[in-house]
Amino acid sequence: MVADSGAPSAARPARLNEPRPALVEAGFDGTPREVDRQAVMLVREEWRVVDRWWTDDPVSRRYFDVVLESGERRVVFRDGERGGWFTQRA
Amino acid sequence: MVACILIPGFELRAALRERPRLATRAAALAPLPGSDPLVGCVTSAAEAAGVRPGMRLGEALGMCPSLELVEHDPAEAGQAWEGVVRRLEDEGFAVEPAGIGCLYFETRGVERLYGGVAGALERALAALGSSWDARAGAAERKFAALAAASVARAGQALVVEGEQTTDFLAPLPLSLLPLDETRYAELEGLGMKTVGQLASLPGSAVAERLGQDGRRAWSLARGGDRRRVRPRRPPAEIAERLEFGEAVGNEVTLRRALGTLVERTLGRADRADRAVRKLALSARLVGGGSWQRSLTLREPTAEKERLRVALGTKLAELPAPVTAIGLELVELAEWTGQQLELVRPEGSRARSRLKEGLRQARASAGTGAVCTVVEVAPWSRIPERRALLVPRD
Repeated sequence: MVADSGAPSAARPARLNEPRPALVEAGFDGTPREVDRQAVMLVREEWRVVDRWWTDDPVSRRYFDVVLESGERRVVFRDGERGGWFTQRA
Repeated sequence: MVACILIPGFELRAALRERPRLATRAAALAPLPGSDPLVGCVTSAAEAAGVRPGMRLGEALGMCPSLELVEHDPAEAGQAWEGVVRRLEDEGFAVEPAGIGCLYFETRGVERLYGGVAGALERALAALGSSWDARAGAAERKFAALAAASVARAGQALVVEGEQTTDFLAPLPLSLLPLDETRYAELEGLGMKTVGQLASLPGSAVAERLGQDGRRAWSLARGGDRRRVRPRRPPAEIAERLEFGEAVGNEVTLRRALGTLVERTLGRADRADRAVRKLALSARLVGGGSWQRSLTLREPTAEKERLRVALGTKLAELPAPVTAIGLELVELAEWTGQQLELVRPEGSRARSRLKEGLRQARASAGTGAVCTVVEVAPWSRIPERRALLVPRD
């Protein structure tokens, strides 16, 4: 009958709330001082997530829930496996 | 019994119908644009020069510098295949196409008409004529029928009786089984060369070593399961075509042409007021070659405007100006109208509007445009693992 000569492949599920890179200046103790060029006024909370260490894709993150000088709340984390800072809704 | 008709290299044969002089020379189907540079089916002259289907293009040209590459023409191959299937249906065979170049049918219903299984196969081959070099096989099960057709010569019909199936399959090469290249290499590394050698192994050991694919191949090597032939319902042939005097790439002109095609196809008397479920839009490109897209509607309709909107998005995918454009109503719904309720249930209007809105968004933005959030691991400490965006198609 009619063959499709090149229909786009079926869309696949995507992850929601993927981490996005963030520009973070950290102090000597590793806590953020600036996030996306805004000074950090308050670190509300800090926690660690170490998970999936038994797989090829381990997760080791140090999260900070911070309030910036504009009053905005942000959650950023330092990725201990890949390096670099990311922002994400926690 | 199950019969199989096989036409090896059908796409190349269809493409060569317009260039018959190439049939006797070394020629091969060119790689598809954007895919790996591997040659497709080859002519017997190319095969004699050492070129094999699936060979890398550079290697093939190195082996046979005079090799001529034939562009893929999916629309032409599709039409030619439809012609083959219809010819058999006209002879009374209820056919199940299994991809281009291969089809099955049950002989039980036509054996008395054509004087037995062999008579039915000969009739089928005669209906196709000699130009396609078709071959036929019949056996108790589909895979054995396919194997019989694969080893038959052009124009020959081979019937494998039930008790002979295992002996018939045993010496055949492993390449008949649907496995990927790495699996063939793995089996060859283990010293396996024939279907019979694989069939003699314990099924659990094959499944453990080769996984699900291997287990299926092992099952086929032992004759395969008794899957019934599911004949298709012959589709209505409602198609219209517009030829342009010169190449057209202007979207406004193409949309007008599409509007005309939609009106013409919907106006055909043989549609008998039935709604359309599936359509195919095709075009002949200016540099030769063809383009084709099919579209299945979520809800069958015969509204011109809806069809125009749904098909309009496909026009943007045209890779080059066109010299002709065609529209075919591939599948029609059985019903001719929709019964409306006297008293609509609460919320049904909002639901139908939402459904229609989603349908429109999907039609204009394509597959994956409308998604649902599905919680998969809400307890996870890793935020991105808690939910997925799943396309609602």
